[in-house]
Amino acid sequence: MATIINADTSDGLKLTSDTSGQIDFQSAGSTKATIDTSGNLKFDSGFGSVGTAYGCRAWVNFTGANGTIQASGNVSSITDNGTGDYTVNFTTAMPDANYSVVVTAGKQGEPSGTGTPVCSLRDNSTAPTTTAVRIGVEHSTTAGAINALRINFAVFR
Amino acid sequence: MRIIYETSDGGVAVIVPAPEYLLTHTMEELAAKDVPAGANYEIVEDSVVPSDRAFRGAWTWA
Repeated sequence: MATIINADTSDGLKLTSDTSGQIDFQSAGSTKATIDTSGNLKFDSGFGSVGTAYGCRAWVNFTGANGTIQASGNVSSITDNGTGDYTVNFTTAMPDANYSVVVTAGKQGEPSGTGTPVCSLRDNSTAPTTTAVRIGVEHSTTAGAINALRINFAVFR
Repeated sequence: MRIIYETSDGGVAVIVPAPEYLLTHTMEELAAKDVPAGANYEIVEDSVVPSDRAFRGAWTWA
């Protein structure tokens, strides 16, 4: 029989641990998810045991030709520095600059018919910081900067 | 709205706000956060920024 737990005050529903400081979610006798003493969320989800979930700290989908943002999370703005040259600015800063960045770009864009886009960190000129990171999109063979129709960006830390 | 500012090499950068950010912040707050310290900047309508980018690298602050 299902058990429904409702908050009985206006302070919301709080789940607190015992003195170990860890909260486990168990099913059929085994742990399926955990929040450990450091606040790390761990889950099974088919791994066979619980593992830490490394969340996406920022993401954005934008248009290369004008920087227009279709959708985003933890991104305050895109700075259009020039053709194929952008800075992604974070709403909430990262804990340090050692995060991992993933960038992809579609094959449609300006100039048209230029083939495969290559995405990069522009860390040769501007090092990533806790508040922003500069990225570039170039043509795979000419190395000329291009404005891809769609650019996807994500940060993991 | 857009924020345009003069880059250190005399060019022009354009800041495009995230719609999500503007739900809780103003353009002035965005400028204070994302425009490099000391740079000349202006908050402008979208239409002020040229759509023709053929000579994007030649844009200058005037």
